[in-house]
Amino acid sequence: MTLSAATVTAIHAEVARYPSKKTALLPALKLAQKDRGWLSKETLGEVADLVGLPHSHAVELATFYAMLFTEPVAPVRVEFCIQLPCALAGAEAALDKAAKLLDVEMQGTHGTRHGHTKDHQIELHGTVECYGACHRAPMCRVGDDYVENLKTDDDLKKLVGDLKIRAQQAPGH
Amino acid sequence: MPLDYQPILLPNPGRTTAVTLVEYEARGGYAGLKKALEKTPDEVTAVVKDAGLKGRGGAGFPTGLKWSFVPKMPGPKYLVVNADESEPGTFKDRDIMEVEPHTLIEGVAIGSYAIGCELAFIYIRGEYTVAGDRLNAALAECKKAGLLGQPSQLKKADGTPFVLDIIVFLGAGAYICGEETALIESLEGSRPMPRSRPPFPAVAGLYMRPTVVNNVETMANVPFILDKGVDAYKAIGNPPNNTGPKIFCLSGHVKKPGNYELPLGKITLRQFIEEYGGGTPSGRPVKAVLPAGVSAPIIHSSQLDAVMDYDGIKGAGSMLGSASFIVMDDSVDMAWAATRMVEFFRHESCGKCTPCREGTNWLEKTMFRILEGKGKESDLETLQFVSKQIAGNTLCALGDFATSPVTSSLKHFKDDYLLRIGKKSDRAAE
Repeated sequence: MTLSAATVTAIHAEVARYPSKKTALLPALKLAQKDRGWLSKETLGEVADLVGLPHSHAVELATFYAMLFTEPVAPVRVEFCIQLPCALAGAEAALDKAAKLLDVEMQGTHGTRHGHTKDHQIELHGTVECYGACHRAPMCRVGDDYVENLKTDDDLKKLVGDLKIRAQQAPGH
Repeated sequence: MPLDYQPILLPNPGRTTAVTLVEYEARGGYAGLKKALEKTPDEVTAVVKDAGLKGRGGAGFPTGLKWSFVPKMPGPKYLVVNADESEPGTFKDRDIMEVEPHTLIEGVAIGSYAIGCELAFIYIRGEYTVAGDRLNAALAECKKAGLLGQPSQLKKADGTPFVLDIIVFLGAGAYICGEETALIESLEGSRPMPRSRPPFPAVAGLYMRPTVVNNVETMANVPFILDKGVDAYKAIGNPPNNTGPKIFCLSGHVKKPGNYELPLGKITLRQFIEEYGGGTPSGRPVKAVLPAGVSAPIIHSSQLDAVMDYDGIKGAGSMLGSASFIVMDDSVDMAWAATRMVEFFRHESCGKCTPCREGTNWLEKTMFRILEGKGKESDLETLQFVSKQIAGNTLCALGDFATSPVTSSLKHFKDDYLLRIGKKSDRAAE
C-alpha cells in the first residue's frame, strides 16, 4: 500500500459520487498523485483496485493527460506558458531570466525546453499549452497556482525568491 | 468612442472575486430560472430558439435547436457544460466562472429544466482550480438556499418539485477535451478521444444517454433571455444572425489586453484594437490578427475593417469561433508564429486519427527545419500537401484547425518563409 488512509477514503467517496464508477478514475488518479507526488506502477494499480477497474485503465489515463506524471517530478514544478499570446508578451525571455536566476541550464528546443536546479528541487518547463491567462502574460504555473503578470525583472526576482522558499518547505528537503 | 453598452455576462469589469448568492439575487439573479419554471420545458426551448442564441464555444450552433434534438424518452438525460477552455488566447469562461459563477449555474438550471436533466456536469479544464473551487462554493450556497437539490424548494410548471444536482468535474490537461465527444469520453473515465458520429450526443452521449453539451458563455446568456425576454435580447447585437452579447478576448500586441463584453456586430476589428486595446505597445502597425485563438485562419491587416460578428469575420476569410483575438504587430515573423501554433496542435493531437497524428508531426518537423534555416523551397509544397491530407480527413476539427495557421500564413505572408529559406533577402517588416 502506498496511499494514505485519507486518500483511500477520498477515492471511495469519488467512486460513490458518479453514475458510473469509471468516471471516478480520473479524480482518483489526481488524488493519488497529490498524495504521492507522481503515479508509479504500484500506485496506478492500487488506484485501479480501489475504483474496481483493470490496471490498464489507470495506465491509459495516466499516460495521456499532461497533468498526470508517471515519472518522479521535482517538489516544485514550474511551467511557463510560451504559446503565442504569452510569447508575444515576452514569455521566452522571462523563462530564460528565471532559469538564469536559478542557475538552471535549459535543454531542448522550441516549445519543449526544460531544466532543473542542481539539487533537483525546482523544475522549469516551457510549455506550448495555453493556461488561459493571456491577458496577464507572461505567466507560469507553480504546482496548481497561477503566477501572472511576470513583466519586469523585479517580478521574476520575486517569483524566484518564492520558488526557493517553496523548495525549502517541500517534504523531504 | 467606446460603445454605450451595459454588460450582462461580466457586469463587474475588473472584479477578481466571486459574486455571492446574496449579491447575485440583489441584482435580480435567479429570476430567469423562476420564470423558466413557470413555462413548460418546450416553451423554454422555444424562447431560447427565438432569441437566436448561438453556441459561444466556437462552432456557433444554435443553442435552442440543440436542446430540441433531445428525444422525449424516459430515463436519465444529461446536460454537460464544456468549461475545458484551452484554446490559446481564450480566457473568457475562466472570468465567468471565477467572478460570475451564479450566472453559469442559473443558465445550467434553466437548460437542465428544458431538456429534462436532473444531474448536470460542469467539466472544467484541470488547471482552472480556482474556477472549480468557486463554482463548488456557489453550488453550496444554492443548495443551502433551496435553489438546487434532490429535490429543490422550487416548483415546476406542473406543480412537481424542481430536481437538479450539478457536479463540478476537473480534467487533467488535454485540449482535445474541448471537443464534445472527447469530453464525454473523459467524463466516462476513458481516454479522451473523439467518437465517430452518428450517433450524436443528443441521442447517445454521456453513459450512452441523451446529452447536451454547451459552452460556459452560452449558458451564461440564458438567464437574461428568460428573465428579460426575447425582444430585450434581440435588441443587443446585430440580428438575425448575430444576436446578443459576446465576450471578446484580446491578447498579444495590445496595450490593454483583457475580456471585453460587447454586442455582436457593432464595431470593427480596427476599432476594437485601437479604442479598446489601446493599439500596439510598440506603436508599430498591426500585421495580422488571429480571431479565434490559433484555430482559424490568420486575418491580414488589410481586413481590419471587418465587423466583429460571425458574418463579418467570415467575410474577412476566417471564423469568429471563440472570439479570441491575438494581435501581432509588424515585427512578428509569421513563419515563427505559425510554428508555435503547429507545435500546439502536434502536442494536443490525441493520436486517434492517422492524418492528424502523423500529419501534425510532419508539419512540425518541416516548420522547425524552415525556422532553423535548413528549409528548401519544396518544403513549402510539403506543408501545403500535408495540410491537404489532414483537413477534412479526421473525426474532429482539431485536424482542420492544425492546418489553418500553416495555410493562411503561407497565403498571406509567404515572404516570411522565403526569407527563412534564403530565397528572399530584404524583409519588408524591418
